[in-house]
Amino acid sequence: MKAKRYLVAGTAAALAIGLSACGGSTGNSSSGGASGAPADDSQCSQTTVFCVGLVTDTGKVDDKSFNQSAHEGAKKAAAASNGYYKYIETQDAKDYAANIKQFTDKHYDVVITVGFMMTDATAAAAAANSTTKFIGVDQAFDKTKVTVKNVTGLLFPEDQAGYGAGYLAGLMTKTNKLGQVLGLEIPPVQKYAKGFEAGAKAANPAVTVSTVYHPAGDNAFNDPTWGAAEAKKALDQGADFVFGAGGNTGNGALQEVAKASGAGDTVFCIGVDTDQWDTVPAAQKCLITSATKLISAGVTDLVEKSKDNDFGGLVSMGKAGLAPYHAFDAKVPDTVKSKVSDIVKQMEAGTLKTGVTL
Amino acid sequence: MGAWVARNKWSVTLAAIVLVAAYIFYALSSGTALSMYKYAWSYAVPLVLCALVGVVGERSGVVNIGIEGQLLVSAFAGFFGAAYSGSLLVGMLSGIGCGLILGGFLAWTTVKWQMDQIIAGVVLNIVATGITSFYYKPGQVLPALMPHVSIPGLSSIPLIGEVFFKGTGVIALVAIVAVVVIHIGLFRTRWGLRTRAIGEYPSAADTAGINVIRMRLVNVTLAGVLAGLAGVYLSMDSTSSFERGMSAGRGFLALAIMIFGAWRPLRAAAAALFFGFVTATASQLQTEQIINVAPQLVGTLPYVMTLVVLAVAAGKVRAPGAVGQPFVKGDKS
Repeated sequence: MKAKRYLVAGTAAALAIGLSACGGSTGNSSSGGASGAPADDSQCSQTTVFCVGLVTDTGKVDDKSFNQSAHEGAKKAAAASNGYYKYIETQDAKDYAANIKQFTDKHYDVVITVGFMMTDATAAAAAANSTTKFIGVDQAFDKTKVTVKNVTGLLFPEDQAGYGAGYLAGLMTKTNKLGQVLGLEIPPVQKYAKGFEAGAKAANPAVTVSTVYHPAGDNAFNDPTWGAAEAKKALDQGADFVFGAGGNTGNGALQEVAKASGAGDTVFCIGVDTDQWDTVPAAQKCLITSATKLISAGVTDLVEKSKDNDFGGLVSMGKAGLAPYHAFDAKVPDTVKSKVSDIVKQMEAGTLKTGVTL
Repeated sequence: MGAWVARNKWSVTLAAIVLVAAYIFYALSSGTALSMYKYAWSYAVPLVLCALVGVVGERSGVVNIGIEGQLLVSAFAGFFGAAYSGSLLVGMLSGIGCGLILGGFLAWTTVKWQMDQIIAGVVLNIVATGITSFYYKPGQVLPALMPHVSIPGLSSIPLIGEVFFKGTGVIALVAIVAVVVIHIGLFRTRWGLRTRAIGEYPSAADTAGINVIRMRLVNVTLAGVLAGLAGVYLSMDSTSSFERGMSAGRGFLALAIMIFGAWRPLRAAAAALFFGFVTATASQLQTEQIINVAPQLVGTLPYVMTLVVLAVAAGKVRAPGAVGQPFVKGDKS
């Protein structure tokens, strides 16, 4: 009896350790560029060989979101320069520095780190490796602390994307009520939300926008159940557009709208970050567009730029905009389309300010 | 009925006051009130089911802090079962099956092998997080939407009918039935008396000829069905996707609600609804920007209230006597 008991405890403990060990390891994979590109990274220290490395945040390069967009951009840039490309998927936040080091040890030309969480690790690595260029996606470096020139943070004007989406919703709403279901109250999310509200009001001063942020800290971007309940409440109270911005929490809201009666005819949803037509297939029934950050294009541009001397600043602004309408192309009136695309162009040109301040 | 009302006069009075208040709010602003009550109920459904798992377990003398894990694995199995088989029924059954298996794991390790109940529960939670994260595959879709039904007759009652019986998911209906059945079961049947006996004073129950070990095994395992249903509700009914860690602490919240409800099914359900309504109110205040109560504070409310209840009602509200202690036949306890 006693022996059996220890056996169970032991097995359970071994299982737990085994699983956590799986979690701790770090996956990686590589892919050469076009034909004629180097086959491995042993030659990276030579000036003629161009090597690009990418470290993901704790996510995978097929996450259909942030990491994947950066991965595709980097891969494309490496292929265009006939260079070598390799990525490492971070499994645990404590491995950030170690994963970056794998690339700097082999003298990669460019290292891309994805995600706000890696800001400090990236800054430290840039200071220690002056011959490697660093691109930090969504990372805002403190210019009083980061003095080196071989690093830049790729940031996006989320407020512009939100503004465009809000403008569209403001023009199209029948009930004059819009809802926003948001993740954690942090700057990128706030910029989307305030931009959305400003855009909606600019298009249609009569609209009211109900805004709700997720209360908890650690799972604010990963609580689809909460997002769905909030979206349902917004619909019950008469909203006919719901903007879901907050990772899986927002996706829960989108899916809830897709389930509602009249989805795609009288009620619509708007996605965020990437074109969620592809990433959340369950929301296609209502997904009129997505407010996107063009991460892929931003990364490709910066990798290209890194071949010249410096980035020219700690901040590189990427572009934000609206995803295609897909199946809703026929449902959006032409006048609305042209107005929205005008607004987006004006924002890109800098002639229209969203007026969003945090 | 009269005797029951007399014995529960405080609960009945409170329920009546709440009900009247709810109807007044509904009369004042039916749209907002209704959407908030529906929100509260959809928030409460998984908590009610999970709290019942806790009630059945602890009434039998087994602490189940692995509910969170049961919930997560069931949500995972339900969603991917349905996505890969193309049948909602298969998904639901595999979700419920997983709840049952994990309930069985907990029962077997803690009752049969007398492993520490807290450790077994923690192991369950860790393993659940690991397995569901590791085997998670993005990009899957449910084959169909879960059926929603309206109960004829009941659904035309103003407010109550509209919230609980109109266009409601099957699992939410099961939750209502489960609360009533388990409440009556615990306090009105032979099974209930025996269950409470093995949770209060197992050696006495053993002397009276009740097979404590077998009864605990069966109760804890079967309660897994409810955890499975709650998991299926999360990934297939309230949303239509599985995400890593999507249970988001609801299993633990349910334990707080179980204590707040004094280990009684009806009170636990009322507590879950109450917290659902508080959350709805907080969200409503935030959206209308009347008063911005920090939503983080509202999130802590269930736990704070549980502490207050335990402090104020100390002595009156207490856990079953033998909870957490493994039963060894012949040992003095």
